[in-house]
Amino acid sequence: MTMTVRTISVLLGTMLLAGSALAADIRVEPGPDALVRAVDLARPGDRLLLADGVYRGGLVLTRPIEIDGGGKAQVIGAGVGSVITIDARDVVLHGLVLTGSGSSHQTIDSGVQMTRNATRAIVRDSRIEGNLYGVDIHGAADALVENNTIIGRDDRLMNRRGNGVYVWNAPGATVSGNRVRQGRDGIFVNTSKNNSFTDNRFEDLRFAIHYMNADDGEVSGNVSIGNHLGYAIMFSKRVTLSDNISLDDRDHGIMLNYANNAVIEGNAVVGGGEKCLFVYNANKNLIKGNRIEGCEIGIHFTGGSADNEISGNAFVGNRTQIKFVSTKDHVWSGNYWSDHAAYDVNGDGIADQAFRPNDAMDQVLWTQPSAKLLLGSPAIQLVRWAQSEFPALLPGGIVDDRPLMKQHELPETARNWKASLQ
Amino acid sequence: MSAEETRSKGFSRRSLMTATAGGALVAGSGLGASLLSGGVVSKAHAASAKLNFEPGELDPYYGFWSSGQSGELRILGFPSMRELMRVPVFNRCSATGWGQTNESLKVLTEGLTEETKAFLAAKGMKTYDNGDLHHPHMSFTDGTYDGRYLFMNDKANTRVARIRCDVMKCDKIIEIPNANDIHGMRPQKYPRTGYIFANGEHEAPLVNDGTILDDPSQYVNIFTAIDGDEMKVAWQVIVSGNLDNTDCDYQGKYAFSSSYNSEMGMNLTDMTANEMDHVVVFNLKSIEEGVAAGDVQMLNGVPVIDGRKGQNKKYTRYIPIPNSPHGVNTAPDKKHIMVAGKLSPTVSIIDVTKVDALFDDDADPRSCIVGEPELGLGPLHTAFDGKGFAYTTLFLDSQIVKWDIDKAIRASAGEEVDPIVSKVDVHYQPGHNSTSMGETLEADGAWLISMNKFSKDRFLNVGPLKPENEQIIDISTDEMKVVHDGPTFAEPHDSVIVRADIVNPVNVWSRTDPMFADAVAQAKADGVDLEGDDVVIVDGDKVRVYMTSVAPQFGLEKFTVKQGQEVTVYVTNLDDVDDVTHGFCISNYGIAMEVAPQATASITFTADRPGVHWFYCQWFCHALHMEMRGRMLVEPRAA
Repeated sequence: MTMTVRTISVLLGTMLLAGSALAADIRVEPGPDALVRAVDLARPGDRLLLADGVYRGGLVLTRPIEIDGGGKAQVIGAGVGSVITIDARDVVLHGLVLTGSGSSHQTIDSGVQMTRNATRAIVRDSRIEGNLYGVDIHGAADALVENNTIIGRDDRLMNRRGNGVYVWNAPGATVSGNRVRQGRDGIFVNTSKNNSFTDNRFEDLRFAIHYMNADDGEVSGNVSIGNHLGYAIMFSKRVTLSDNISLDDRDHGIMLNYANNAVIEGNAVVGGGEKCLFVYNANKNLIKGNRIEGCEIGIHFTGGSADNEISGNAFVGNRTQIKFVSTKDHVWSGNYWSDHAAYDVNGDGIADQAFRPNDAMDQVLWTQPSAKLLLGSPAIQLVRWAQSEFPALLPGGIVDDRPLMKQHELPETARNWKASLQ
Repeated sequence: MSAEETRSKGFSRRSLMTATAGGALVAGSGLGASLLSGGVVSKAHAASAKLNFEPGELDPYYGFWSSGQSGELRILGFPSMRELMRVPVFNRCSATGWGQTNESLKVLTEGLTEETKAFLAAKGMKTYDNGDLHHPHMSFTDGTYDGRYLFMNDKANTRVARIRCDVMKCDKIIEIPNANDIHGMRPQKYPRTGYIFANGEHEAPLVNDGTILDDPSQYVNIFTAIDGDEMKVAWQVIVSGNLDNTDCDYQGKYAFSSSYNSEMGMNLTDMTANEMDHVVVFNLKSIEEGVAAGDVQMLNGVPVIDGRKGQNKKYTRYIPIPNSPHGVNTAPDKKHIMVAGKLSPTVSIIDVTKVDALFDDDADPRSCIVGEPELGLGPLHTAFDGKGFAYTTLFLDSQIVKWDIDKAIRASAGEEVDPIVSKVDVHYQPGHNSTSMGETLEADGAWLISMNKFSKDRFLNVGPLKPENEQIIDISTDEMKVVHDGPTFAEPHDSVIVRADIVNPVNVWSRTDPMFADAVAQAKADGVDLEGDDVVIVDGDKVRVYMTSVAPQFGLEKFTVKQGQEVTVYVTNLDDVDDVTHGFCISNYGIAMEVAPQATASITFTADRPGVHWFYCQWFCHALHMEMRGRMLVEPRAA
């Protein structure tokens, strides 16, 4: 294809070179209406190359074009609506600095907003800062948000902020390699499917990644540090959460709430607050090879969760390894428990005694918290004594019949969790 | 040893767990269990307000419970959770004959539209036999319960019903025209009820006759105000977006309805498109003035006013709320309305004193939001203790959060305070909650019930269909304590907990009660004394059988009719002793009804089946109850 070069000088109000019908690279110089004019005149397939400087935002892109800011061109909104709205297929935004969105949650004012027409829209290598939302993928199938720095606002209460990336009804959309800070959720995906969130880093947020009613997703290689919650997978099927890191997240590292048929594998959840892993009414999941370390509760398993395979995980130094509220029995085979004092006489790597995390009184207290008033009572002493004398009185609930003597190795990202702190 | 092996050994852990978890005082199968249940549970309960009642002791509260898709209202003693009564409303009741007796059919049919009656008649039906009763609420006077009526919605067939609290029977059911699928419903609190506010949840064309079908741009939702005394629709408002739950203020000025589908989406995806939905505020005085001034269209006999966005009138205002809001609950401080965010972890606090400006000065609709605390995931409904605290159900976290209203407002203003007092786990996933007297100015802060949507593994397994689980929580201290698990059948949504002294039902019916006034009038026309005569009146093809009942006998030991005749049996229960209810059941005729002391009940059927058919009393009444029976002799049609 022959590429023609057209240059628009809006200040002069002339077009130096009339274009052909073919796609072209068009250089745009800063000026009050420079970008608006250039966008108006651009044809499908054109590439607008922005010189360094400041451009006025509030653009609506209705044709498939590319805008390349070279990493320095700033597009600044007027504090109303979104800085750039993509309303056409195959638009590419590259190397821009986007600021100055409006502040309305009703219109989801964003750095970049992609409508249902914005199939395959791409935003990459941009700095999207100080907008209410970073990127709003609002119905844009197969969109890609890649390698951006997205910094939200901290000038309002957490819940009045917007999300770094908001994904609604965007099958196939991918969010990868971004650095997201200071908003509400890093990525909030609601009523969507087949989304991929990989290799992003999240800080100073409510949730790093927040799933609601979004099936068949892949979440891998992400790092969540110091957020209220790391990864919340709720009311979604077949999400794969693998090789992610949650460090020092305040409430939970990973939360599964009616997450079914998920694979939670090879993640490092370390030094979290309340619960490293919260499994609530979550069923038929594979929870395997994760490192669960240093939380008040290693795993809180409840809500009638059933048919989960929980194996090969390392539970390391959690104040309470398992909080379990259920009247059913569960066998979790082949996990490492840092508080399991057992021998391995035959050297097969499997401890010679089964691991039972909780005694009868834990169960009583968790099902009937009011019994706490009587912790010192003779009845409870008797139960504890009876339990130690007659093993059959052990509540079982959860038993690991093949506890590991050593931890499994984590995959690449999760293995380097210590380095994430830098 | 595996868990399975552990279980198979002598001691059953289940016996230990159930004896403890259920709060039951029955000893389990082991030493540890029996000591534990005897020692732990009773002391734990003794330490707080009284939960368990000795046989014969009365509860301090009535609980009025909905039953969802069962369609009835249930009455419980609270907090013992002893179920006292089931009052049939929208359902067909085998025990009482509700839906079959002439008295109940009158209630069930007189408020239906002519169009609905014709629709049902074409199916050989007189009324619907299902309902979906979500929200029972008592009538108010001056901001608290007055013991007159209970009102309740039917989401399934767009009706609102009233129960008379003197006899605890449903006396009025009206179909709401122009609206679709009544969900949220609440009575006016001040100065009295007054209005019943009812939300049409689902979107449809205003005139839904098939002219408009798959064109959602022409769909609307309807808010209805019903005159609770007359049980007639007073007026309706067309709104933008759909309507979910509703409540009103303690000043008698405004009603508030949440909307989760401000998008007017027709599928799940489109319904979740907006980050912010809204609460609609209804300005009662402005709407009344608009109706009086004729700014309405009359539709099915009802004045309908247009309160949609962009109408630039003073009828409604739309307050943006994140994100698919659900519960709307007015605090007993008379000032704050709590709107639960559902998909937003927040509750939005509306200050009703700032709502005037929305109408008078066109102030920013969000200016009346004075707090929006982050409470936890999936907030659905909020209850109150009258001490400045609120209790919100967190569906996703499966918790109740107790929070300080004043601190929540100060935190939103920028102060460094944490409004959350404590959280407690509930099992599993709570929907509505209610506190004792909590929806009135007399909220007493004693108890909270969490109406959980799933019981999962919490009870003995009864197969794939499982009960719900309702848990009582002692809220007398900062640390909430779950003190009781209660399974329920399908499917209480909401409840009100009413101090027992407010509710004073009679023990026997008055002979002048309007419930059976039609029977009294017919007897008078036939020259029959209902309280004395046992006679058969033949009136062409119709036969009216009048009989009394005094345990253990019916007034007639037999009556004879001809095959094909339309027979109406009137039974008047002359017993006036408490609790001597009779029944009248004709075997192999599908006929059965309840006749309470001093009541008359009647039932009409065609005598299609010839032969000898025993009628008997199916509500136990006497030592010789089995002998309380008689014969209906049906002469065959001449061949």
